[in-house]
Amino acid sequence: MSEPASSLPSAVVADTGGRLPGFRVVVAGLAGRILLAVVLSMLCAAALIALSGHNPLTAFAAMGVGAAGSAHQFGAALNRTTPYLLAGSGVALCFRAGVINIGAEGQIALGGIGAAAVALGWPTGAAAMAVPASLLGAALAGAVWAALATAIHLGRRVHEVLVTLLLNFVALLLVQQALAGPLGQFGAGFLQSPLMPRMAWLARVPGLDAHPGFAIALVAAAGLSFLLWRTRFGFALRVLGLARPAAAYAGFSPARLTWGVMLLAGALAGLAGGIEVLGVQRRLIEGFSLGFGFKAVTVALLGALEPLAVVPAALFVGLLEAGALSMQRQIGVPSALVAVIEGLTMLFVLAATVRRA
Amino acid sequence: MTDFLAAAIRIATPLLLAALGGILSERAGVFAVGLEGMMLAGAFAATIGAWLSGSAALGVALALLGGAAIGLTVAIVAVRGRADNMVTGLAANILALGLTSYLLRVIAGGSGRPVAIHLTPLPPWPIPGLVEIPVLGPLLFDHPPLTYLAVLGCVALTLLLGRTQVGLTLRATGENPEAVFASGADPLRVRMLAVVACGAIAGLGGAVLSLQQVGTFTDGMTGGRGYLALASLIVGRWTPWGAAAACLVFGAAEAFELRLQTFGVPVSSYIVQMAPYLIALAVLAGLGRTSRLPAAIGQRLDG
Repeated sequence: MSEPASSLPSAVVADTGGRLPGFRVVVAGLAGRILLAVVLSMLCAAALIALSGHNPLTAFAAMGVGAAGSAHQFGAALNRTTPYLLAGSGVALCFRAGVINIGAEGQIALGGIGAAAVALGWPTGAAAMAVPASLLGAALAGAVWAALATAIHLGRRVHEVLVTLLLNFVALLLVQQALAGPLGQFGAGFLQSPLMPRMAWLARVPGLDAHPGFAIALVAAAGLSFLLWRTRFGFALRVLGLARPAAAYAGFSPARLTWGVMLLAGALAGLAGGIEVLGVQRRLIEGFSLGFGFKAVTVALLGALEPLAVVPAALFVGLLEAGALSMQRQIGVPSALVAVIEGLTMLFVLAATVRRA
Repeated sequence: MTDFLAAAIRIATPLLLAALGGILSERAGVFAVGLEGMMLAGAFAATIGAWLSGSAALGVALALLGGAAIGLTVAIVAVRGRADNMVTGLAANILALGLTSYLLRVIAGGSGRPVAIHLTPLPPWPIPGLVEIPVLGPLLFDHPPLTYLAVLGCVALTLLLGRTQVGLTLRATGENPEAVFASGADPLRVRMLAVVACGAIAGLGGAVLSLQQVGTFTDGMTGGRGYLALASLIVGRWTPWGAAAACLVFGAAEAFELRLQTFGVPVSSYIVQMAPYLIALAVLAGLGRTSRLPAAIGQRLDG
């Protein structure tokens, strides 16, 4: 398949007069417009809340309290944020290189399988290594899934969106297959694995009820940002995203760069799946990754495709979701409002950040 | 066996309608990733319309509008706004998922939980005479109305694309928008209209699910069928009859999966469920070098 020109990576770059734009230009130039997009979608949400017969301010207040009213609630919101941040910063890197990877969902699912397989089979004699080994298994499984997508994309020249999208569905079914077979708990009534052995659980921070996943995700985001702006690999990625021919002319191999960025994003998404299984569910559950992949795309766009800016973006989505559940319980505004806000924000960001010719 | 084939046709119908819409959009040069959201909006609007008015016909009309609304959203952001097609489609799908779940509760529920809407699914319209043919009659000529509409849609779209000036302009917009511009037409307008029409037709596909097959609306009831429709139009190489064949294959795979136990085949149902996606991947991979993807698909229109 021919490669259609994507308008995405160049689209999120402010006008720089021909020079490769630096960190400050790119991120600061977009912050205002993205904030505007968030405000606009929150206004739409307020209108929808009013439509349901509730006071928008009361609803937003209930959301705020639900998201961060207590240390315990804030911890739960951080747990929710973690997979979005991990997968989203990887997606951001891919998009910046012009690789529209929307396969985070499948990579997260495979990460869950990887973590569960290692954790359930890990010898009790080496209990101290159970968590790192399981997380490594998760990252590897995610990277393998991304590698499969990349091999089909580059080897057979199929558009990466279609490959990653179709593989997402296959991955979800693979989780079900794994749970119906080797990883499943028989007689559970639904598709789930047995409880992970305690040695493989991620510890929870006392009082906060958060697992250390968020800290891992922060480090990963910082690392990716460094990679993007301070290394030759990152420079090549940015050139590739802005002008494919220029990257090839400069001697960078588009294929090798695509492999690099896909494997990296796949490993991070896999890690996100592993953390979800070991830190939150403590089992592998059918459909545990449902919707995570698209949210990774949401936060990547909301974070202007800059890994460090994905941190507040992921926090916004994580807090919103945690808060919305509590809003539904407290005052009865349906929590589906969150998906409306996410979809609208994405559309407004897309519309607001396109570079005008 | 007849029962199995009838099930394949039943499952293929909503996919086919969505795929027909998708062909319009992609042949005009806009990726149809938003099919899922368009279907979902159509399914929702059809249910609410039929429930509030008591008229299935009004439900179908609203399905066209609901799908078209998502189409218009995609058209404004991706075509007029020149944003990335595919990501815009994804965003529209998320919006449709949230909006339909939210509005379902607001319109039909009040707080939290929606009231159950029960509609009588559209009854079959046996075609007099033809339905008497042994075997083929009950299989082909005893379907609810929207199924015939899907087949008519195939005929209509084939004629539109191949035999009319409108179809020529549409295809040219997907292949070479500059040439369309030079000929005095407005490629931006053509793409906007194509995407809105895509939404309306995909909305009908959603109505098949909610009005004709299930008789109610549930959250995210399309469950990935929009993406499957997208796969089928690619497998069918952007032609209506090709897409119809692909939809039937996918329908047969699902019908087979539902009857695994009956057939006594020792294959996991999850593996069988993967078939449509794997077939789509295999066809895409085989298509690689000889692709007939519209040349200017996904490209922005500047100026």
